[in-house]
Amino acid sequence: MTDDKFFERLREDARPLQYDGDDFLAARIAARVRERVTARPPTVAQLLAAWMRPVAASLAALVLSVTIGLTWSQQHQEPTPEPGISSNPIEVAMAGELYGVDD
Amino acid sequence: MRGTLTGTEWERLTQDDPFEGRAIEAVRSGNAGSYDYLVSKYSKRVVSIAWGIVRNAHDAEDLAQEAFVKAFQNIGRFKEGEPFGPWIYRIVTNLALDVVKHRSRFRHEELTDVEPAARRDSAELGALSGELAQRIDAALQSLPENQRVVARLYLVEQFDHAEIASMMNLSEGTVRSHLSLARKKLKEQLADLYEGSHD
Repeated sequence: MTDDKFFERLREDARPLQYDGDDFLAARIAARVRERVTARPPTVAQLLAAWMRPVAASLAALVLSVTIGLTWSQQHQEPTPEPGISSNPIEVAMAGELYGVDD
Repeated sequence: MRGTLTGTEWERLTQDDPFEGRAIEAVRSGNAGSYDYLVSKYSKRVVSIAWGIVRNAHDAEDLAQEAFVKAFQNIGRFKEGEPFGPWIYRIVTNLALDVVKHRSRFRHEELTDVEPAARRDSAELGALSGELAQRIDAALQSLPENQRVVARLYLVEQFDHAEIASMMNLSEGTVRSHLSLARKKLKEQLADLYEGSHD
């Protein structure tokens, strides 16, 4: 057999060596490529939102802690003494003289 | 897949595909969804080319994915009216050759794993059921790297000399030279299978 004839025959016989993969090969690669090529760069609004999100979360935490602190301090404040009867005695004026009720 | 078409017949068929040209135009205009058509059409062939070079199914799929993404990113440079096939084949071939070069640089670290990996990769090839296919595959694998890749693209993937030269950035003369050396070695190795034939 000549070299050329041998190579021709070999080319015919080698064709089944092509790799076929499984039935889902094409779909799998298409999905993976699609995922990568359709991923768009973030817009300005998305970039701002991404930057503002932690800032807003920090502010909200701060406001919450201040509110809780104020509420707590108001609830636990020392009660101011009520003006009692003894400090404001009922006085009665009689004949130019002042008389207290307890007197 | 393309069944029994040769490389040239396949390229002629793709050149006559009006959907392919439209899909390329749509992708160039920013419609990424149209790229699906091209990926679905060429993915099996692209994986087969990559597998023939790297001999590992996972690596071959990863390479195919990279090749399609690279082609998408450079679609602006793609010449209008040209078939997409040769371009994506060239990209995947170069990516796969880079992987092989990288592997050979670190070959000493992988020596202990060579035999099990080769056995596993042959098992991935469903067509290797017959003795003839196994013998041809083993003979191809025994060739030096450049001869092996060129012979595989010619014998298995059915590309012609010019197509292989374009895919591997070689001259046609170099491709013919690699094929000639490969043919000599393959004929020696497979003599018992083909010597009895007188057609």
